This record gives sequence, C-alpha cells and structure tokens, in this order.
Amino acid sequence: MKRTVPLMIVLVGGVLMIIQYFIPHQISQDIFDNYTIWVPIIGAFALILGVGSLSRLHGHKVRNKAPNWPYSLAVLVPMYLLPVFALLLPASVGGGMDPPGVYNFAYMHIQVPIQSTMFSLLAFYIASAAFRAFRAKSLLATLLLLTAVIVMMGQVPIGELLGSWFPKVGLWIIDFPNNAAKRAIGLGVGFGILATQLKIIFGVERNWLGGAGE
Amino acid sequence: MKENIWSRMLNLDRRWIFLCIGVVCIVPFFLPFGLPVIPTAHVISIFDYIENLGPENAIFISFDFDPGTDPENMPMAVAVMRHAFSRHIPVFFTANAPLAQGMLESGFAYVTNPDAQEYFHVVSWQEWAQYREQGITGRDELQAAWEADGNVLPENASGWVFEGRDFAKLGYLPYFALAILGMTSSIASQYPEDMNGNPLIDMPMLQEHKSLRDVDLATTFSGTAACMWWVTYAREKIGLPVAFGVTAVSATDYTIYIQSGQLVGQMGGLRGAAEYEVLLQNAGYVEKPDRAFIGMDVQNAAHLLIFFFILLGNIAYFAGGFHKKGVLLKGRR
Amino acid sequence: MYTTIGVWVAALFTLAIYSFLYRENPLYRLGEHLVVGISMGYFIVVTYTQVLKPRLIDPIANDGEYILLIPALLGLLYITRFFPKIAWLSRYPMAFIMGTSMGVGFPLAMKASVLRQLEATILPLYQSGMPWHSVLGNVILVLGTLAALIYFFFSKPHKGPFFGTGSKIGIWVIMIGFGATFGFTVMGRISLLIGRIQFLLNDWLGLIN
Repeated sequence: MKRTVPLMIVLVGGVLMIIQYFIPHQISQDIFDNYTIWVPIIGAFALILGVGSLSRLHGHKVRNKAPNWPYSLAVLVPMYLLPVFALLLPASVGGGMDPPGVYNFAYMHIQVPIQSTMFSLLAFYIASAAFRAFRAKSLLATLLLLTAVIVMMGQVPIGELLGSWFPKVGLWIIDFPNNAAKRAIGLGVGFGILATQLKIIFGVERNWLGGAGE
Repeated sequence: MKENIWSRMLNLDRRWIFLCIGVVCIVPFFLPFGLPVIPTAHVISIFDYIENLGPENAIFISFDFDPGTDPENMPMAVAVMRHAFSRHIPVFFTANAPLAQGMLESGFAYVTNPDAQEYFHVVSWQEWAQYREQGITGRDELQAAWEADGNVLPENASGWVFEGRDFAKLGYLPYFALAILGMTSSIASQYPEDMNGNPLIDMPMLQEHKSLRDVDLATTFSGTAACMWWVTYAREKIGLPVAFGVTAVSATDYTIYIQSGQLVGQMGGLRGAAEYEVLLQNAGYVEKPDRAFIGMDVQNAAHLLIFFFILLGNIAYFAGGFHKKGVLLKGRR
Repeated sequence: MYTTIGVWVAALFTLAIYSFLYRENPLYRLGEHLVVGISMGYFIVVTYTQVLKPRLIDPIANDGEYILLIPALLGLLYITRFFPKIAWLSRYPMAFIMGTSMGVGFPLAMKASVLRQLEATILPLYQSGMPWHSVLGNVILVLGTLAALIYFFFSKPHKGPFFGTGSKIGIWVIMIGFGATFGFTVMGRISLLIGRIQFLLNDWLGLIN
C-alpha cells in the first residue's frame, strides 16, 4: 500500500497515456480531455505543501525567537494577509484584487521591484567576472573568449560601427557552430529526459517516493 | 611574488567595478548615442508572420516569465501585443505561473493605459453587451456600431480593443504544459471563465477559435525552459506555429529550433525586443520605439566597458606574469 | 496618490536591494523575505481564483458535477505529508501526476527534442546558389554536431583518429557554443540592470522621458 500501489499507479498511468497518444479514438480522446481537467485541481492542492512547509519553518523561528526571527514575520504576514485582503475584505479597506488594493500594491510595488532588482545584481557580478576570471589561459579558453567578444559586440549597434562584420560573424557563429554545440547537448538532454521518463514509469527510478512514512 | 601595479590592479576591490558599471548604465540615458538597431532575420520572420494575420485569425501571447526577467521579456510581449491589437488579431493571454499572471496584468495595463502617449482603449465585456444581444459581433461592424452610438476614440488612443472580440485574458493554470495539451482539444474546457470571471464560451473569439487547432500562432515570452512546452505539447501534437521571446541568457539554446523549422522565429533579450519595436515603427504602427530601443544605447556603453574589462584583466594577468605563478597575491573582496 | 506612493515604495526597495552591493544589511534581508511571503500569498489567491473557484467549487455548487470530488480528494491527500503516520498517502496524488505526465510527455518529447533535431541535422551541405559561408556553416553544423556527440560519448576512450580527433574537435565546437552563450549572457544581465535604472530615472525621479 505504501510503495507498491504508488508505483503501480505510475506504471498504469504512464503506459495508458503513452498508448492513448497512438489511438485517435473518441473514447481515448474523452479520457484524455477529462484527465486534463482533473490535473489542475489536483495540482492546486499541492499549494498546501508549500504553505504548510513555510508556516512550519518560519512559525518555529518566531515561536522560539530564533536568531533573525523578525524576518520570518516578513514571510508569514504577507502570505496570510494577502489572501484575506484579496478575497475577503471590501475595497473600502484596501481589499479586492484591483488597484488600489493591498494585494495589487504588494505585487506591483514590492514584489516586482525586489525580484527584478535581485536579478539585475547579476550585471555587477558579470562585470566583475569579466575583469577577474575571463582569461585566455589556454587555446580552448581563448576560443571561448574570442567567440564571446565577437557575439557580445555583434549584439549592440556600436559593434556594427566598429566593424560591419561584427554582427554578421556573430550571427553566423550563433546559427552554425553554436547550433552544432547546442544540438549535441540538446540531443543528450533529450535522450536523458526520455530515459528518465521510462525509468520513472517502470519503477526503476524511485527517488520521488521520498521517505514519507516508510 | 612582489606586489606591483598589475597585482594591485587584479586585487582591486570589486566595488570599484560595480561603481563603473553603475555609472556606465546611467550616463547614456542623459547622453544618448541614438545608433540605429537593424532588425535580424529571426525577428523579422515573427513580424512578417503576424503581419499576414488579421481579425479572422487568432494568436496566443503567453506570459511565461516572472518579475525577475521583466525588463527583458516585457518589452517583447508589449511589442507583439501592440502589433496584434493594431491589426485587430484576436489575442488569448495566458500565463504559466502565478507570478507570471501578474506580469500579464502588468503588460496589459501598460499597453492600455489611458495616461500613456499611445495606448489601446479597452471596451470591457460588459460595456458592449447590448451589441452582442443584437447579434453584432464581427470586428468591423462592432466598431462601427460602437462609434455610431457616439463613442469617440480619445486622441492619444491607437484604437479600440473589445474584450471577448479582440482579446481574452485566460491567465494561469497549474501544470501549464498539460493545459496547453488540453487546449489542443478545447480552450473552454481548460478555462471555463477568464481572469475577470466572464464566461469564455460566450465570447465571439472563443466561438471562432475553439481549440489551439483554430489558432494561427503561439508566442511565448519566457525566462526559463518553459517556452519549450509550447513546442513539445502544441507544435509537435497539432503543428501549431510557435515563436519565442526569450531572455538573452537562453537565446543561443533555442536557435536550433529555428534551424529545424520548429520555430517561426525568436526574439533574444533586449536586442530582440528593440528590433521588434523598430519594425513596428517602420510599419507605422507606433510613432516611436519604446523602452527596449532606448535601453540599447546603454547596452552599447556597457558592452564596451565589459570588453574593456576583459582586455584589461588579460593584460594585467599576462603582464604581471600570473599565468606562470597560477595564483594571485592575496584574497580579494 | 496610489501611484506616487507605489513608485516611492518600489524605489525604496530597489535601492535596498542594491545596497547589497556594498555589503549585506537588514534592508536587503527584509526584501529577500518579503519576496517569499508575497509570492506565496499571491500564489494562494491566483490558485483560488483561477482553479479552485471556476473549476471545482462553481461546477459542484452550480452544476452538481460531483465527479470532481475525486480529483479534489486525491489532491487533499497532499495534506497527509504533515502527519508522519499517514504521510505515505501523499504519494498517491504524486504518483498519479508523475505517471500520467511522464506518459503524456514521452512521445511528444521524443518528437520535439530528438527526432526533429536529428532530422534537422541531416541536411544538404550544398545547394546551387548557396553562398560559401552557408556551405561552410552547414559543414560545421553537421560535422560539429557529430564531433560534440563523440565528446559526450564516454563508453569508449577518446583515442585514435575517430574518437580522439572527433572529441578534440567536439570540445572546440562546445567552447564556441559556450562563448556565444556568454556573449548573450552579458547582454541579458545588463538588460536587467537597464530596466531597473529606467525605473529609477524615469518613473521615480522623472529625469528622463
């Protein structure tokens, strides 16, 4: 019941879905259509895992006054208050999903700037890496470096000003040698995905079972 | 090894480098170069494809990115949205993640903001209910009837967009790859109602385009490999043409799908978005290009600086003889 | 008023995150934690409005589609994860999703990522009217793909004219591929910074148009 039944569900579900792809019959199609309606409903409940885990982790920190515990409130308060504002409270007190509600404000004016600024920090680190780590130490490293410089300069209008061949060569590199490398990598990844899918369906790969209630 | 100018240079506090890149990314906004951006084949092919579509066709614009890559992906999505709205091509908007749905809202609000210099004026599903009841649902007859009743297009508006006729905001669904697959049979079975709670089944654009089989193009704007879902689950299952707008980091990974004919084209990073903006301007859809084009000026300066850093780093490395020693003198900050 | 406050709050958080470049500080940490909390809160709301209400609650309440209780009960089994004695029950919804999605994806992934890609590599190297750089490009595309595949083939030692030379050419091709990616990565990272600076200079300070 604990391990065999889930493995059987995976096997039967997987094989059935592979077979239905090759059977263009109405019954097969109806089963598939119903399946695609069911899946998001099941998936929606997976949210409970995320909310539960975060609540447990940060609730524990707050209760025990662990180091830096006030930051945990910055996780818990918006997590629980946003749904209350969005779904339960009226617009007169900042409720609802549209501006000028709290829900919209939190996303547009806190979430978006913080997240995109965090990503933009990488611009500083890549500049630092260009200065300190990007060396022509060997033939291969030089090849990588030259390609990077040509492609990088070919992407900006000033590259064309420096030499009209920059963008042309840059595009040629992307369309041919780059494609050769990416195709080989892509084929490897593709075969890897297929192998993993088969391993999961046939129960060879079982890590996803985890240790839940052994 | 004795400390010298080269070692001091290579052990420079990295915050000086941070300062340089910060300054270089600010100054060009005040002293623009205004260099032209020349569109490339991968972007032109998307533009031309959409240019050949009209009100009888339909496209998907899928916001498959979160706020992290907003500066790169949003200008692309906005440019394609403007193009489709200008040509009255019905657009279905989807999102592959909850935060991506917020991006959808944000992008749509940007294009339909009445305070902007150019925008599209939204007529909500409820606002044109009386025309539906009279059986007026065709694009041109609807606009004619709407304007005949005294509705005047504001001066700064580029056109009307009727909800349910010109666009439908479908939004997010969990396991979005399977939602794409489900939409190959029926869009309405996956989305019983739109993000505003309107019944999709009653919308004219849904009645004319019941499944992805009746759709002419899916454009996905993505900062992850999620864009491939559209190729795997829609392109390969029913042959739906797909176009990508991806971040620069992943752009070189997907050109193989252009070569294999699985993609109509691809916009890569800010440059791709700027190219599309230029194409829109050249075709007369907008008066001037938008944020991506302006950003390319800064991109020029920043790329030159990075090039300079690479050069300087290598000169210091070899001139200082570090290639022989293998290590630098002291730890770095 | 709403927009003005919003822009100021966004600017404050933008600067708070950038303060990390100098050194880590409490404002940065606050931002880091807020992102997690807000995205989860947002996730809950969107899941309710996009999935639970239109696809589960409304169809059951308005149309009596009680069959939908089956996926709902299956989904609810996820909760058992928090009760060690019955935590194994949470494997059931996971198994259902895992098995079926693997099965659904298998033939399509094979087509998209393997068959089409192999097909696209089998191409004519030369056709009349083709410019020389395209011919050269096609040769590199075909031979380069083969060479890079040889490099990833670890079942044979990389020695001799076929495996040895092949893998050597393969690694050159791969390095060019990585170089191209790095060139684009620089552009991508800078673009993200440009986006934030545009916000600060335009939306917040109004210094540029």
